[in-house]
Amino acid sequence: MSPSAHVPRSMSARTVSPCSVTLRQTGETYVCAAGETLLQGMLKLGRRGIPVGCVNGGCGVCKVKVMRGRCLKVGAVSRQHVTAEEEARGVTLACRAAPQTDVEVEVIGKMQRGFVNLIVGSGPAAG
Amino acid sequence: MGVMRIGHASIKVMDMAVAVKHYENVIGMKVVHTDPNGNVYLKCWDEWDKYSLILSPSDRAGLNHVAYKVEHDADLDVLQQRIETYGSKTEMLPVATLPFVGRMLKFNLPSGHEMRLFQQKEVVGTDVGSTNPDPWPDGLKGAGAHWLDHCLLMCPLDPEKGINTVADNCKFMKEVLGFHLSEQAVVGPGGSIQIAAFLFCTTKPHDIAFVGAPTMGLHHVSFFLDSWADILKAGDVMAKNRVKIDVAPTRHGITRGETIYFFDPSGNRNETFAGLGYLAQPDRPVTTWTEDSIGRGIFYHHGEATESFTTVYT
Repeated sequence: MSPSAHVPRSMSARTVSPCSVTLRQTGETYVCAAGETLLQGMLKLGRRGIPVGCVNGGCGVCKVKVMRGRCLKVGAVSRQHVTAEEEARGVTLACRAAPQTDVEVEVIGKMQRGFVNLIVGSGPAAG
Repeated sequence: MGVMRIGHASIKVMDMAVAVKHYENVIGMKVVHTDPNGNVYLKCWDEWDKYSLILSPSDRAGLNHVAYKVEHDADLDVLQQRIETYGSKTEMLPVATLPFVGRMLKFNLPSGHEMRLFQQKEVVGTDVGSTNPDPWPDGLKGAGAHWLDHCLLMCPLDPEKGINTVADNCKFMKEVLGFHLSEQAVVGPGGSIQIAAFLFCTTKPHDIAFVGAPTMGLHHVSFFLDSWADILKAGDVMAKNRVKIDVAPTRHGITRGETIYFFDPSGNRNETFAGLGYLAQPDRPVTTWTEDSIGRGIFYHHGEATESFTTVYT
């Protein structure tokens, strides 16, 4: 079930080079290949806690704020989870955003606590 | 008399063209109607009423309403009276509020979900007809689902504030609409908190289910297949169509159903569900899943519910 299949070809064709993504809360970095979404790249961290939900812009669990850099919207984002006002401030869903430049991202969705605590929380990091 | 079965679900989709392709090519439904507002109506091959799914264009995903069919037109009046007496508001929507459907009784469940009851919907017959029928029609696409089987609704639950709309819905469905509880999951001291309820009005293990959650939503709409072999083939269909699978083929302890969970292109969770499980009857003792075994109840083989199963919904 490779999530890469969810990126429309016409969209992925527009991005030209890999981009580096830095996660603000954990300091982790990863690379998104050309056309990959923030979430597809994040999955390559290969750890638990990655906020993977519907991967189709509907459920909102992978909500992020792009603090620095620019992303391309690759599909519809549910207004139930990202308001127009939030979107204007750089909030989006990681499954719907493909970085166009190096970016810094804050994870703010429903699974955020588990995502962050595994790395910087008080408890031991789960394998 | 009373409620017979699920009639249809109306769900919101964010890209109609890809949604229609999904329900045609993956589930195996056929488009039967498109209305002037862009709503698309679809039917499974083994259903005899005009449609069982309405796709509604929106800027978000989720459920608009779920509708159940009653046996007699007069049931709508009786049930309206009962629902009002119970303390819930109702509205009788006039004939043809929805295309091909008679008057509909509209109300909200204690969880907030909109439910409708109707008696008349245009009968078009199954794809094999009713005279000397073959067991299945030619030209089926995708999983070739038989029918819309049930839905699972996420219901606000906050025991610390004394809120449990799973229990409230269960009571409402039993006392007002005449459903029966087949299975439940309970937690807390002495199993005092009902966090999941599975209810039937047919003879299947469930026709609707409620699970506790922070907010109201749609967990999934489910489509019926015959067997485990059909489930595995449906998995192949999903892989071929690059569908995001949430839970790969497995079995539920609850209902004994065989299952795949996956997402439509707007993120609404779908299920292909196989097996009639057992004969559900009003006098069948209620099955209870206790806190230590809920994981096995949800996914019998793996024995634990994945985080996405309980936190991801629309």
